[in-house]
Amino acid sequence: MILNSRRIFLKTALFGGAVLVMYGATVFGAVSPMQTMALVQEDLFPHAKSLGIKTEAYLTLILSHSKVTPKEKDFLRNGVQWLNEEAVKMYKKMYSNLSESERQAVLKSIAKYKWGEKWINKMLTYIMEATFSDEIYGVCKNSARAAWLKFETGYPHPKEAYL
Amino acid sequence: MYDVCIIGSGAGGSPIAYELSHAGFSVIVLEKGKNYREEDFNKDELAVCRRDFFTPNLADEQHVINQRAEDGAISRHVGSENDWSFWNGSMVGGSSNLMSGYFHRMKPNDFKLLSVYGAIKGANVADWCISYEELEPYYEKAERIIGVSGEVVKHKFLEPRSTPNFPHAKLEESGVTKWFDKACVSLNYESIPTPRAILSTSKDGRNGCSYSNFCGSYGCATGAKGSARAALLQKCDAKIVTEAFVYKLESDAKKITKAYYYDDNLTTHTVEAKIFVLAAQAIESSRLLLNSKNRYFPHGIANNSNQVGRNLIFSAGGSGSGRFNFEKLSQEQQKELMQTGVFFNRSLQQWYEYEAGEKKRKGGTIDFLFEHQNIIPRVKREFYDDEENIIWGEALANKIHKRLTTSRVLSFEVFNDWLPTDDCFVSVDDEVKDKFHMPVGVINLSGHKHDLEVGEYLAKKAVKVLREMGAEEIHSSISSSPPPNLVAGGCRFGANPQTSVLDKNCKAHELENLYITDASFMPTGGSVPYTWTIYANSFRVAEVIKKHLA
Repeated sequence: MILNSRRIFLKTALFGGAVLVMYGATVFGAVSPMQTMALVQEDLFPHAKSLGIKTEAYLTLILSHSKVTPKEKDFLRNGVQWLNEEAVKMYKKMYSNLSESERQAVLKSIAKYKWGEKWINKMLTYIMEATFSDEIYGVCKNSARAAWLKFETGYPHPKEAYL
Repeated sequence: MYDVCIIGSGAGGSPIAYELSHAGFSVIVLEKGKNYREEDFNKDELAVCRRDFFTPNLADEQHVINQRAEDGAISRHVGSENDWSFWNGSMVGGSSNLMSGYFHRMKPNDFKLLSVYGAIKGANVADWCISYEELEPYYEKAERIIGVSGEVVKHKFLEPRSTPNFPHAKLEESGVTKWFDKACVSLNYESIPTPRAILSTSKDGRNGCSYSNFCGSYGCATGAKGSARAALLQKCDAKIVTEAFVYKLESDAKKITKAYYYDDNLTTHTVEAKIFVLAAQAIESSRLLLNSKNRYFPHGIANNSNQVGRNLIFSAGGSGSGRFNFEKLSQEQQKELMQTGVFFNRSLQQWYEYEAGEKKRKGGTIDFLFEHQNIIPRVKREFYDDEENIIWGEALANKIHKRLTTSRVLSFEVFNDWLPTDDCFVSVDDEVKDKFHMPVGVINLSGHKHDLEVGEYLAKKAVKVLREMGAEEIHSSISSSPPPNLVAGGCRFGANPQTSVLDKNCKAHELENLYITDASFMPTGGSVPYTWTIYANSFRVAEVIKKHLA
């Protein structure tokens, strides 16, 4: 299990700060990037929950990885801001305060922008990485995803976490 | 003082270590990466493939890539800023740990490309200064010691062999190979079982293949894959120093006197030896020479003729695929299609040479293989609908489930010559330095349009086979994008010191005790993956060094 307190601390340092959401030239409010991304992941792929995948826990792990570049982290953080600004523009509310159908409408709206499509793609990629991660990372039970896709992972499994 | 100091422990350096240490010489190998053994390897897709566990972080070590467009315009890309990596495997045994092990020999005409096929405008094509016949005994030696499995079948371009068959029986195959063979019969194509540097049965303390279903890109946990580490370095007593980054060679006018390296604490060490063998991979070997300037070699070691780094080549070609869907298959065929673990292992070499108008033209090799079993790229491919719109939720879950459980993709890879040109070469950068404070290598990239024409010709043949087999969604992509794992040249060998860095024996023309035995020596690359040829040539040079030391 690699989801130890040190990594959680790192997460806090990188994504713990609030993101300011603008409405025109004024500040509308502030949101937690991790909470927003976790909710977006649920909205994008609810199937992960039924498979018992802890997608938020994986985000915590991967966003502190040395090979996730600062540029990529900036993009994810900016995406949280832009997503919420789209929500405010459409409903005068932060993304997390919207109903499920309203959140889907916001996602459909940002998917039309180049950044939005790329950001959703990135979120989905992290969901899939969580879904097919080895059990050693503690975010996924192997049997659930194997049953879903009749997928057999390679052997041997890692004895220690290389990520 | 050691008899031999080898810089780099991959396919180019390890045969020297193996042969010289078995002959009783003292050998030290300096390897930039760590040492991993069979028990350290696993199939952790996230760590190994998604986060490139075995290659350096680009923020620490990188390349600058200058890409030359057709109109001559050059665009500069800093590796870390563009996430463009040319690293393959920094560890004992190098990238041979991670190879797929598609092992083809070069053909006799590959050694005399200029004489047989003639000059090509804008390309520095040259004949090799050895023949196939001179290298053949070492192909055989590599086949035996590294361990190649397969079945020799007669075909139009089968190279002459001194032994009738491979030393190891071929690996177990997917039932879909029967569909492939049948399609080839109806097209009058010659289907060839692909030789692999993978043991089908145990040998010398290495286990046979476990058919784990994940091979290329991963280290082998059984020792079946013929990596330089498993087959050679673990079978000899050469001293291996890991996490030793060689940043400078020191020389007088005639000899290398010392290699300087940093350990992982950035502490400098030196090694003295009678013979130095450089095998750090083509780009890095040129870079080390260019970074090692002194008063005898003001432009870099062995570079008084300004040839170091020139004529960098890759494997040209590309890839393609087709999908087989359950709807068009019988139950038996569906079962065959979804069988995992076993290999596909089929190749075509029927157009290794072909007629183009009045002229004979050099062609190449097509290898067929099932799409890599790594699941994340396969799932990612389903993120878009038929109109190229991104999808999510139930629609995505259903699409992934259908595609991955009721269809499978068969891929092909085309290998043809990347013609050497004046515009494709290695230099070092004036601005960007790595974590060792050394100027990074610059990869000056340029492809020749001839390469694309040949690649397209071959891809069309591969597409015909997929179509005949009943595949759908067939596509192919031939481009001048360089595959980072198939790189050669930069210190070509030749008879003329004004146009080559190395002599026939891969010894630097200008130095008495420097040999280069990675793929740098190759003036042209053949139309096959390079590893077998690198191994064979290194075994050949080992014989020369033994005589040199005697």
